[in-house]
Amino acid sequence: MNKLRFWIFLMLLPTFILILFINLYPLVRGGVISFQRLTVFNLNKPRFIGFDNYRAVLNDPGFWNIFFNTCIWIFFSVFFQLVFGFILALLLTKPFKGRGFYMGIVFYPWALSGFAIGLLWSWILNGQFGVLNDLLMKLHLISKPISFLSDPSFAMFSVIMINVWYGIPFFAIMLLAALQSIPKELYEAAEIDGAGVWSKLIKVTIPYIKPTILSTVLLRIIWVMNFPDIIYGTTRGGPAGATNILSVQMINIVYYQNNFGKASALGMVITMILLLFTVLYLQIFEKGDFEI
Amino acid sequence: MKKHRIMSITKTVGLIIYFIFAVFPLIWIVLTSLKPATEVYTFPVKYLPSRITFEAYRYLFSFARFHIYFKNSILAATCSALLSTIFSLMSGYVLSRFRFKTRHLLLLTLFFVQMIPAYLLMIPQFTMFSKLKLTNSLLSIVIIYTGLGVAFGTIMTRAFLKSLPKEIEEAAWIDGCTRLRALFKVVLPVFLPNVGAIFSFCFVNSWNEVFTAVLFLHSDHKMTVPVALYSFVSKAGIQWNVMAAGIVVALLPTVFVFAIAQKYIVQGLTQGALKG
Repeated sequence: MNKLRFWIFLMLLPTFILILFINLYPLVRGGVISFQRLTVFNLNKPRFIGFDNYRAVLNDPGFWNIFFNTCIWIFFSVFFQLVFGFILALLLTKPFKGRGFYMGIVFYPWALSGFAIGLLWSWILNGQFGVLNDLLMKLHLISKPISFLSDPSFAMFSVIMINVWYGIPFFAIMLLAALQSIPKELYEAAEIDGAGVWSKLIKVTIPYIKPTILSTVLLRIIWVMNFPDIIYGTTRGGPAGATNILSVQMINIVYYQNNFGKASALGMVITMILLLFTVLYLQIFEKGDFEI
Repeated sequence: MKKHRIMSITKTVGLIIYFIFAVFPLIWIVLTSLKPATEVYTFPVKYLPSRITFEAYRYLFSFARFHIYFKNSILAATCSALLSTIFSLMSGYVLSRFRFKTRHLLLLTLFFVQMIPAYLLMIPQFTMFSKLKLTNSLLSIVIIYTGLGVAFGTIMTRAFLKSLPKEIEEAAWIDGCTRLRALFKVVLPVFLPNVGAIFSFCFVNSWNEVFTAVLFLHSDHKMTVPVALYSFVSKAGIQWNVMAAGIVVALLPTVFVFAIAQKYIVQGLTQGALKG
């Protein structure tokens, strides 16, 4: 028995050393740094300053605006990803000729890097030479080019659209797997009871895949919150802060202000918000739907 | 019957619309990368290049020295994916086959780790590695990517293994195989496609990572592909056809890997994330 224990320990060792070294220890250090004055200029001589970094972050005049942007970004991104992903999954449930080929092609956005996606779309949405403007003008939907990314009133809408484009495959993949696990008998029983397409969807499909929907949404909210890449590849939070979200703000504090202490404080705030949100989410929706 | 027909037409139309929505950006970027520089900035837009030219790619690989970044990225992504796959297999196997006191705590840790924003960890990682004099080296980002990949890899491995019946292994033990022999002779061959999925998942994630790499790698010959793209943006006067070529080159490996392992990645995601 002791020999087996030793083997178990040995097999787990590399993984947990790495997690300790790359994730957990830096998390604790991040917590410590958030109470220090630490910039690129005093890397080796940090100074303890209490809650000053947190005060600086929360009293920043733009903070609540950025927080509001983050909520808008997460809500609409995840909402439309879910809706369109669900529709796509429904369209793909029944096998048809070439389905595998179709999925192989249309799911590719999920394999791309957010940053490259941001760059790619910033070319398509370019206000002067962008192909989308050209298409819309040829269809006579608009009379002059729109600055999708540099006009503050369009920018948030544009980045959300890009994020939806990116995330639909993920929802489609997850929901498709769930849809295919629904026993056919349930539908047959519903049909005998005279259920139409709609009532089958509402009374059979959605309740059955509810656990998948709930956990996919949670997972995606966490990722979208922590995923500054798309916004960074397009607007970097601009124009005039219109697309600035918390994670982008943190990156900007690192790269432009070089203030690691303040950035860490903001990072800790983000982690707290996420933890609080996850706990609440799991409390509101039944715990039974999630198992480890 | 008529109703059925309307349904199937609606379905086809929906699939076609989504196809265009999903694929159009990629086609557009490929077209842009093949245009002569003079045709990139015209409005109304010229859709098809008057002649197909590889000048953007030539510029990319000669003047912009993209081959160095490409090689660095391949090296970093392959090494970290290989390491995380091996470690994930070891820990995932143990976590799926044995019950011990700390098992639940370890699993919870693996899930919790997914929630920490990577850029919060970046700064401490940076100070840590600069104390070890390891910044500005590919080794540092390989270690970090391995650490980030191993948590999700372990969850995926465990999920795959849970759906693999224990009985095949046990049958081999009865036939006189040792545990280790059974693992290599019986489990691993069945499990090989899943190993590929875990590897490609880690590969894609490492290949796509930007922010750690930007913070860690500053000398020109150490950069990875995303860092090079990142530096393109800030450089004034970059041609969009060259940028488009850079994006195409950056996309190629991941699209290739994803296309091959797509089926298994899907399986792993759905099992790993939902019923860890």
